[in-house]
Amino acid sequence: MTTDDLTQIPSRPTGIARLFEAPQMGKMSPAGCVIVYSLLFIWTGFVLFPLYWIAITSVKLPIDVNSGPAYLPWIDFTPNLHAWRDLVVLEWAETLKPYRNSVIIAFFSTIACMFIGSMAAYALARIEYKPKFGTILMFVLLMAAASVSVGVWGVDWRLASASAAAIFVLLARALGRRFKRSVGNSDILFWMISQRILPPVVTVVPVYMMFQSVRLLDTQFAIILTYTVVNLPIVVWLMYDFFSGIPKDLEESAQLDGASQFTIFYEIVLPLARTGLAATTLLVMIFAWNEYIVALFLSTTKAQTMPILVAAMNAGEKGVLWWKMSVVIIIMIIPVVLMALVLQRFISRGVLLGAVKG
Amino acid sequence: MTAANIGADVAVERRAQRLSILALNKSFGPVHVVKDLTIDVAPGEFLVLLGPSGCGKTTALRMIAGLEVADSGRVILGDTDVTEALPKYRDVAMVFQSYALYPHKTVAENIGFPLKVRGVPLEQRSAAVRDAAAQVHMEEYLERYPRQLSGGQRQRVALARAIIRRPSVFLMDEPLSNLDAKLRGYMRAELKHMQHELGVTTVYVTHDQVEAMTLAHRVAIMDQGVLQQIGKPREVYDNPANLFVAGFMGSPSMNFIDGRVENGRFESDGVSLPLLNGAPAGPVVMGFRPEDATVVDPGMGQFDAKVFTAELTGDVTLVTIVIGDKSLAVKMPKEYEVDFDSAVAVSLPLQNAFLFDAHTGNRLPAQFALPPGQ
Amino acid sequence: MPAVIMILIFSIFPLIASLILSLSRVRLRAGGYDVRFVGLRNFEKQLFGSEQFHFLGTFTSISLLGWVFIIAMGALLIRWFSVYLRGPVVVIGLIGRIITASMILALSVLLAATLLSGNQFGTLGVTLFYVLVGSAIQFLIGLGLAIICAQPIWGRTFFRVVFFLPMMITPIGIGYAFRMMADTTKGPFSPVWQFFGLRDFAWAADAWTARSFIVIGDSWQWIPFIFVVLLAALENVPRDMIEAGHVDGANGWQIFKEITWPSIAPVAATVMLIRAIEAFKLVDLPNIMTAGGPGISTESMTLQAFFAWRAPDLAQSAAVSYLLLFIAVVLCVSFFNLVILKRRAAIA
Repeated sequence: MTTDDLTQIPSRPTGIARLFEAPQMGKMSPAGCVIVYSLLFIWTGFVLFPLYWIAITSVKLPIDVNSGPAYLPWIDFTPNLHAWRDLVVLEWAETLKPYRNSVIIAFFSTIACMFIGSMAAYALARIEYKPKFGTILMFVLLMAAASVSVGVWGVDWRLASASAAAIFVLLARALGRRFKRSVGNSDILFWMISQRILPPVVTVVPVYMMFQSVRLLDTQFAIILTYTVVNLPIVVWLMYDFFSGIPKDLEESAQLDGASQFTIFYEIVLPLARTGLAATTLLVMIFAWNEYIVALFLSTTKAQTMPILVAAMNAGEKGVLWWKMSVVIIIMIIPVVLMALVLQRFISRGVLLGAVKG
Repeated sequence: MTAANIGADVAVERRAQRLSILALNKSFGPVHVVKDLTIDVAPGEFLVLLGPSGCGKTTALRMIAGLEVADSGRVILGDTDVTEALPKYRDVAMVFQSYALYPHKTVAENIGFPLKVRGVPLEQRSAAVRDAAAQVHMEEYLERYPRQLSGGQRQRVALARAIIRRPSVFLMDEPLSNLDAKLRGYMRAELKHMQHELGVTTVYVTHDQVEAMTLAHRVAIMDQGVLQQIGKPREVYDNPANLFVAGFMGSPSMNFIDGRVENGRFESDGVSLPLLNGAPAGPVVMGFRPEDATVVDPGMGQFDAKVFTAELTGDVTLVTIVIGDKSLAVKMPKEYEVDFDSAVAVSLPLQNAFLFDAHTGNRLPAQFALPPGQ
Repeated sequence: MPAVIMILIFSIFPLIASLILSLSRVRLRAGGYDVRFVGLRNFEKQLFGSEQFHFLGTFTSISLLGWVFIIAMGALLIRWFSVYLRGPVVVIGLIGRIITASMILALSVLLAATLLSGNQFGTLGVTLFYVLVGSAIQFLIGLGLAIICAQPIWGRTFFRVVFFLPMMITPIGIGYAFRMMADTTKGPFSPVWQFFGLRDFAWAADAWTARSFIVIGDSWQWIPFIFVVLLAALENVPRDMIEAGHVDGANGWQIFKEITWPSIAPVAATVMLIRAIEAFKLVDLPNIMTAGGPGISTESMTLQAFFAWRAPDLAQSAAVSYLLLFIAVVLCVSFFNLVILKRRAAIA
């Protein structure tokens, strides 16, 4: 056989080369070990150093911050809790308000988002939708007409949207059957994802005007609603994958047992998808908790959130109040880290992977 | 019985090599998966590692491949100690249970991969790929992707990927378990033929005793990490070393009756049989194979019983009988018919009955006394 | 279905409203605003008019290097088309490729005319710098970390949690934290700056150092995301495929190149799409760290739209947003169709 000569088994390298090869399976080569651990520690330092700096800045006096770098508490400078006292004791009422706003907004928008989004994702994963291309086009055109009439000609928005909806229902009944081309679930899904491409500034200006026209600016409700819609595509996209991964026969057997569609969803599907739910919830919550631009546009005083408070620490006449800002950042991080620690095992279990398999 | 004369009747190819594993041990955490495993495989021999799932057979195979490293013991391939060598420095090829084909590579690329990573030039490589594909009758599918193939075809590709290198040892981890029954029978025959043609030393892991019986030159039966018995399939079947081997080989499995040795007789509920040479008194288990016994009219056999069911399986009628609270299986010719619940007796050629120690499970040398006429 | 309708209303309404705004002149007055239709004048202003330097950059004649670059890109695109036309051609695919190609060509001409000719580039160039350079760096580091953490290392959980931390911090906070870090007199690294005699060196005054700092901050925040997803992907590669590779005799690099990488490529492509989408929207970091400066050299398009909104010039803001949307959609859809779908098909 000629192939005998083709497959000479190599022998182990000797000398220096030996350092670069694992001694056996499941182990790292000596050189690899050194490289891997040094990279790990370098990166850990890169990740942790800014956090450390924020932490020590929060216990520095203004003079310690402004007189140059001081690295170690008790050695380079004396820790002082003045910034913490200012924010957490003296001005607690002013800190508490955005904190409460942030909690309420992040909580309710996450709940709403998960609720609507997971139902939509489930529907997309299980039911074959065939909306007619023409119907969608018609809907979009009517929406356009309604917005133009509100924006340009100053028609009352309630009147405009009501009449647009009425015309749409009438026309959809009359013309619905004539449209031939339809779109499928995958088109809907891709369109959902593409919503994430919209830059916030594209949406935020009209949304600002919209809420202005219905007098809802600077309310928690407006921000909750906006975050819900902005984060919906993520939820739908992620949850679609988790739901598709659940075997259909489980639901079918439940159907035979006489369970209703909603019972099946809550009793069978949701518990099975709970890893996905946990990870998605965490992700959406982080986005809602940390969002800045929308909050900046939509709130002035009453509905301010924590990121706005962080930015507000720049407004002092003496420049940035680093010590106070560090305190705000730290109290912002704490709840997210706690949440993440609780959900940690879900994150590292390849859950986010489902996110991007699409 | 030495390994050397087992492989002697096989056409031994130049590259076939002896594989020895000596006192191999492996633990995963607190679980001791493989205990002091020692097997010597002759060049060109087809050795089957047989056992229930979790018995350590796959771990043993992976240690031979170098995918796991033994806690203690040695793996010796030819003249080389490869106990700790990386897989690529061992001249072994492996077929995985899942086939482990590369989904993004075509059939040809999959088969040619072992040559590609060793830097074999393209021309020689594609010739070798065609050769290997021809051996498994896959020449027409070279440009397909694994996802476009059926289960049986994927299995052939995995085989071709193993044989293209002409390794000194083939390792196969339940390669047929993902195929349906009909295809499995066919592939079994193909596999046996191919191994004979190539004459490569082969270690084959399975939990299916039919595969073990049909494929192996020798079978090594493992349970809970311990080698129970090793020998030719017929030997293992006819001369089980202990209760486990006796029960594992054969389908339906051997009948067992718990009892005691008393006064030179085997005594159990409703059964009393004479023993030839004095077995020590104590609890024992008597066993016999379903095909060795016959169901006869009451009073005509060694012990009386009642018919529970009779099932025609095609080539035989399987009669289940009960003695007290014990049920036993007996294979009868397919023409045999009997009413449920009717009283019968079992006639058993006592030279085919076995006696095991109830505590250790080991086979007892004691023989049953043959009644006159047998 | 309610979600679909809700998104439809909430995304199409702003789209339409923005479109109207971008085609109008908006003037605020007490208690409301006036909207007057002006056609494409806002876009004209951005692309050719008084805002051209801001959006596209400053042009003079194109340098030799610029011409070489344009010709090279053109040749690449022609080659790409000739390869495509040899295979089966679908009308929609062809149109899509033409759009993609013209976008790439236009952007390369822009790059050649500004950066490669020694001129300043505008917010479009800055945005693309953040998207392309930033994402590329983050991908490489994220992949490297994921590979390291997939090794049998001690303390896996600790490193994973630590590496994920930056993802949880508000971008605003990150912006300020990095402003502290980068301070050459009071920041933690000021002794280092001093050692190199750069005590009075103001990184924020130089376009490229300013951009680099923003990319570093952005990377600090986004590498964790890429890292987590790629790590999950790496751990999902079937183990016996890797083991088969070992038995077949491949070395570590061959296993990565031939087995691991093709298996994680679809996930890698998708995670890069998500990253790029978010990078197009980068606004917090440049706003805080440099306020777009020096001049306009770190101003992303989103930041430009933000500044225009604050001016307040809603119409210009909407027009810039629309231009960004157009470019982002063309590039992302091209990437999705030409890279991700192909990768997925390869292992489906």
